[in-house]
Order: sequence, then C-alpha cells, then structure tokens
Amino acid sequence: MLKYTVRRVLLLIPTLFFVALITFVLAHAAPGSPFDKNPNRPLPASTIAKLEAHYGVDRPIHEQFALYLSGAVRFDFGHSLVRDRTVAEIITQGLPTSAQLGIQALLLALTVALPLGVVSALRQNSPADYTSMLISTVGTTIPSFVIGIFLIYLFGVTLHWLPIVGWGTPKHMILPTAILALGAMAFLTRITRASMLEAIRQDYVRTARSKGLREQVVIVTHVMKNAMIPVATLLGPATAGLITGSFIIETIFNVPGIGREFIISITRRDYPVIMGVNLLYAFLIVVANLTVDIVYGILDPRIKVAA
Amino acid sequence: MTQRRKGIWSVPAFLMILGLIVSACTSTQGPEAQTGDYDPNGELITNMGSEPDTIDPHKASFLGEIGVIMQVFEGLMSLDPKTLKPIPAAAAKDPEVSADGLTYKYTLRDGLKFSDGTALTAKDFAYGYTRTCSPQNAGDYAFVLFIVKGCDKWYHMDPKKETPAALDAAKAELGIKVLSPKELEFTLIEPAAYFPSITYMWVGMPARESDVTKGGEKWTEPATYIGNGPFRLAEWKHNERMVFERNTNYRQEVKLKKKTQVMIVEGAVAFAAYRSNELDITGVSAEDQRAIDSDPALKAQLSDSGGSCSFYYGFNNVKPPFDDAKVRLAFAKSFDREAYIKDVQKIGQPAKAGFIRHGFPGYDETDTIQKFDVAAAKTLVGQSKYGALTNAAFSGLKITYSSNARTKARMEWVQQQWKNNLGVDVALDPVDSTAYTALTKKPETTPQIFFLGWCADFPDQQNWHTTVWITKSGISAGRVGYSNPEFDKIVREADKEKDKAKRDDLYNKAGKILSTDAPAAWVYYDASPVLRKPWVKGITSTAIDSVTGQMRLWEIYVTKKS
Repeated sequence: MLKYTVRRVLLLIPTLFFVALITFVLAHAAPGSPFDKNPNRPLPASTIAKLEAHYGVDRPIHEQFALYLSGAVRFDFGHSLVRDRTVAEIITQGLPTSAQLGIQALLLALTVALPLGVVSALRQNSPADYTSMLISTVGTTIPSFVIGIFLIYLFGVTLHWLPIVGWGTPKHMILPTAILALGAMAFLTRITRASMLEAIRQDYVRTARSKGLREQVVIVTHVMKNAMIPVATLLGPATAGLITGSFIIETIFNVPGIGREFIISITRRDYPVIMGVNLLYAFLIVVANLTVDIVYGILDPRIKVAA
Repeated sequence: MTQRRKGIWSVPAFLMILGLIVSACTSTQGPEAQTGDYDPNGELITNMGSEPDTIDPHKASFLGEIGVIMQVFEGLMSLDPKTLKPIPAAAAKDPEVSADGLTYKYTLRDGLKFSDGTALTAKDFAYGYTRTCSPQNAGDYAFVLFIVKGCDKWYHMDPKKETPAALDAAKAELGIKVLSPKELEFTLIEPAAYFPSITYMWVGMPARESDVTKGGEKWTEPATYIGNGPFRLAEWKHNERMVFERNTNYRQEVKLKKKTQVMIVEGAVAFAAYRSNELDITGVSAEDQRAIDSDPALKAQLSDSGGSCSFYYGFNNVKPPFDDAKVRLAFAKSFDREAYIKDVQKIGQPAKAGFIRHGFPGYDETDTIQKFDVAAAKTLVGQSKYGALTNAAFSGLKITYSSNARTKARMEWVQQQWKNNLGVDVALDPVDSTAYTALTKKPETTPQIFFLGWCADFPDQQNWHTTVWITKSGISAGRVGYSNPEFDKIVREADKEKDKAKRDDLYNKAGKILSTDAPAAWVYYDASPVLRKPWVKGITSTAIDSVTGQMRLWEIYVTKKS
C-alpha cells in the first residue's frame, strides 16, 4: 500500500508537467492578447509593444514556457499580466472562500442525498422516491443560473427574506450553498439509489437475510457498505470540483472565490493566472482520485491495489 | 415490496410552483418614494461590476477603475457638467498659456490637503504626471501625455537595455517642472489648445512618492492609497466591495458620509438587488428594459446620462467599389438609423449628425450629410466612377465580422437595408475572432465592410477627429485606409489654434469633409441609462462620467429613509 501511494505521488510530477504544457500551449494558441482591452479604444501599437516587452510576452513561446516552469518549481507562479497582484495572491485570496462554500455544499449534498438515495431505493415509488427523482431531475436539467436567479427574485425581491448583495454572514451563504449543493445532490442521490438497488439484489444480501440477520444489520453492513463504492468514486472529483469553486454560482452570488478567476483569466488571456489556477485544479483532482483509491481498499478489501 | 401511489406532487415541487406563483403575482416595489431631509450620515450603495484590475491612476484604463480614481483623487482641472469644457478643480484658475502656446502654468488653490491632512503641493502633481510617462511604470494611457515634451521618448525607452544615466537624462528632459510649491509648468511639443482637457484625466492625479515607494505595487491598498478627492478609500474587500468614506480634508464639504461599491457582475442580479433596495443606483441593460417599461414606478426612476462613444460601419477605402467616396456616401445614406435603434440596438441614439456624438464639444447638428435618403444615394452612385449599381464592382460584396450573436444581428440588419434600398446583395462573412483581429489591422487586408467604434478619452474635437481619422496614425483611418490631405491640414491647424471660435469652425469644417468622404457610415451613439432610487439626490451626470455624478461628487446626498 505504501509503495503504491509513493508511486502515485511520484506520478503527480509528469501529470502536472503535461497539464502545464497543454494548458500553456492552448492558452497561447487562443486568439487575442491580454492587452486587447477595449475594442473601441485599441491601444497604440507602440504601447502594446512596450507592454509585451515589459511582461516578457514578446519572447518565443518555448522560452516563456521554460521560464514559467523554472519559476513554478520554486513555487513562484508569476504575476498577473493585467492586475496588480501575483498569481499566488489571487489564489490564496479566492481559494479559502470557494473551499468553504464547496465543503458546505458537499456536506449539505451528502446529508440529503445519502439518506434520500437509500430510502428511495428501499421504498420505491414512495414520496421519498418521488422527491429523490424530482431533485435529481431538477438538479441535472435546470441550469444553476436559472434556479439561482429565480431564487434570488423569490427570496430577495419578493419575500425579502434573504439579502442579495454581499458575502460572509450565514444568511448570505444559504442560497449559494443550496444551489451549488443541488447539482451534487442530484447525481449523488441517483447514484446512491441505483447502487443500493444493485447491492440489494446481490447473493450475499440474500445469504445475510437467510442467516436471519436483522434487516437493519443487513442494510447497513452489507448493502450500504457495498453500495458506497461507486458513490466514493464520484465523490473524489466532485469534491475537487466543488472546492475549486463554480464560476456560475460565484458570479451570480458575488462570491469572492477562485471559480470566477478561472473564467475571467481565460477571457482576459491572463496567461500566468490561467496556468496557476489550472495547475491547482489538476493537483486537487489528482489528490482526490488518489484518496478515493486508498479509501476503496478500506471499503472493500477485495479490491487489491496493484502494487 | 410495498407500492404506494399517493400522487406525483412532492413537497419540494409544490414549493417551487408556489414560489413561481408568488413571485409572479406580487408587486416588487420597495418603500414608496421618500422625500425626507438630508441625511448627514447617509450611505449610497452602487454597483461597480467586476473587480478593477488596478486602481493605480497612472496605469488604469477601464471605466470602473477610472471611476474609483475619480472619487479618491482630484485633478488640476475638472469638466463643466453642461459644456464639458475644462474648469479649475485643484487648480485655482485656468492655466496661464505662453504667447507661443507651448507652456501651460497651473497654480494650485490655497490650503490643499491629502485625505490624511498633510499638505498637497505641486510636487505631488509633478510626481503623478512623471510617473505616467515612466518606462518602468508602463501604463496603458501614457500616450495621452505624449504631447508633453519628452514623454513619448522616455516612455518608449527599454529600462532593461538602457543605462540608468540615459534613462535619467531622458527623465530630466521632461517638460514637467515645479516652479514653486503651488506652481506647476508643462512644456508641450507643439501648441495644443486641448491640453487643459487632458489635465482633467486620471493620468495626472497627484500622488505622494513616499506612499508609492512604501506600498510598492500594493500602494493601491487603503493604507497608502491616499488622495485629494471627495472620498477616501476606507476598505477594499477584493472581488466583493470597496467602501469609501467622506474625506473631511477635501476642499469642500462632502455630503455623503459613506459610499459602498459592490461588485455584482451579473446584470440580472444587480437589477434584482436594486429592486430589493440593496442598491441605490444601477445600470440598465437591454434585457431589463421590458420590466422597466411595464412598471411605472421603475420607469420614473430611469434617467440617461448619455455615453461617450460613436459607432460606425467602416469601408475599405482603398479597394473597389469603396475607393470612391461617392459610393461610400451612397451606402451611408441607404439605411434607416432610427429603425436600427428600434430593431437592433434598443439602447442608444441614432447618429443624426456626424462622427462626433451629441453631448460633446464639436457635435455639429448641421452635419446631416449622411442622412437616410435613398434617392440621393442612387444619384451619388450615378455620379461615381462605377456609374450604376449594376456595375460588376457591386457584385460579391461582403460584410465581415467576428462571429457572435450580437454582431450577427447588426450585420443582418444592414444587409437587409442595402438589399431593400439599393438592391445590392451583400454577403455575410462571419470569421473567428483571431482572423478578424488580424484582418482589421491594416487596409491591405481590411474587409470591405466591418463594424467599428470610438469612445472619447477627453471631451475635445482633437480626441475625435485627429486621434481617429488623421492619415495613417488615426485609429480608424489606419484600419480603413482613409487619407485626405485637406482633412489632415485642417485638423492639424485646429489642434494648434488658440482662438476658440476659429478652432471650432475648423473642426466643424473637417467634420463635414469627413462625413462627405464617408470613410465610414455613422450608425449610432451609445447611451447609459441608469435607475436611481428617489432618495438619492444632488446628482449631476455627464456623458463622460466614469462614476455617476463624477464632476460634482461632493453634492450627492441621500435623504432619510424613515
């Protein structure tokens, strides 16, 4: 297990290198420049040349990439091309907020999805089952910006229950947390329900029942434990996705997180920020997957890790 | 397995339906219009959109950024809200101009202070202007100061390649001199009557060298971002809000105690926040327009301070058939601008006169040369070297645009107009944005017809005619390949002319030449409608505001809401 973990950690290095390479090439291949600011007020060509030289984006692309890498290995992710901040500052400012929102949403999603998924599998066509179907249908089919704007109007404008502007107090967090959770809730409910149904029909469950075990024991230790394996698989990337923020939720609810930096940096062609945020995202995904693989072994001793 | 079928409607579904009904039926009005007294502790909350990239006055180039700067700093000059002519702000009076028109001497008001109470002197202004020209600073907007002696040269030096001695020598040659703690003198490279208008701009805001050195790149954080404007920056929560407080050391009494600018990026959310009274002022998008039209209370809160931009269809002036001015003018006269606003743009004004938009010095109502007139257009084509619209030169015309839904609608509209009015088929040619940017850089590759615009930096004809249409270096002229030596001669003469009336006449003459030459077809002038709560008072807006009420911020107040 240790050997496996070490090998996986070492694999991180080439993975991140290729993510960096691909991101770098794609970002620079995209048309436009960080200094194309206002189409109706193009900067004079001499000013653009001056700015490009100032920020070193006039150099050959391989040179820029080598420079970037040599900085990145020393944890120097460079400076934004359009803003008065370093990439490290932009990330450290936004990430805690996004992570907090993401963890809240994940916990909410889990507390609703797991019981709901379990109950709806045990009692098919019950109100709980319909509720779970509704959540998974709404959560997957209606885009979060539609629900977001609708709930803002309902709770902010019509009922005056919740504030629209600002961030920080629990009242401000209710809507963004709930809407961010909805998507995760939808697929977690569906997966839980499906894998519960799958597990219930297994031979070992019949065996357990025929042994005369109490129904509760059968469900908890035999059905649920096995049904959780697919859930855990999805939970890894979902966690990484949630804590790195959602562009849509953060934009609609003015959450000062990292999710919107990601999209904004791309539209602005702010190469160092694109790189920094992408690498962070890749790193979190890899770590999340690794954690999931390790947790597998605990959930199901039959799954042997190939050392 | 037990099966129960009690109905499909679960609790959440019911709640959602209920929510829809409630929000559809309830009126979303806030408290009724209040006409209370002036609130000395009043706070105004507005939206500034996205987080500014920088609020460094010597670097900034975006509207929201400039808006912040204009609240915290005050330039030598400001603009008269009615005429947009420069008027003294931190300067005590209009600058004294030398007989040759090359030097401008500004005298500061007595007793000026920074917001922390320390004295503000001419040295701080000189530092600000110098910093904008500095090659190390590499600000976006340095070019507006290239009229100042030595600025162009110093700015374009490469600080990595030049010796410190050479850089210092170039800096020493700058035409920015402190004559006394209250007097500052600029030396220009040529006479420029528009120079006082430039000294209203953010590029010339005063700053203390000690703050900039101490804060380094972070000098724009509240601790060191010390200005001389009506407000001081009290708090900056990045990506969330900026809080400004009344500057008690400002040269006049400031009525608002506090001003908060939140950063809502999504227009629909800002509109909701306005309706729930969480914002006092908000901009209006074309999508909000219908909700406003159907609600009389909201409609009463709507006002428009105008815009600073002019938009036009550019022609490739060096390729047939648009190498003939008569053909260009004919096309410019063959679409209905009023209908364009109604059908396509929704927000804005049809370009009734020339290139310079209404609300700006130099707007010339008598310039109706490009007026919609199909009969005249057909006559013009007859007089052109192509003779008739049946000429082969008019087949296979293309209108090129960077493909997105908004530009597509604009292009389809004009395509239809030219088809109906002139019977000419113009094909749509959407290209991806890289190809588009590359194509529109120079006239050799510029499309036959494409969409362009210009937004003024400062209110003077020089910033319209000379900056945009002078041969080669003109921002639009360079792209469409327009060149008329007569136009160039007149605008260059006007740039240097000291007599105001003569100067205006010259620019008007140039404007008419431009409309007749029709390097582009003027389409519309933009607008900036805003919603404002009835308790917000004392706002004087101008067309060039970066922040609402920019030119007279200290007069804004709110009334007591209870």
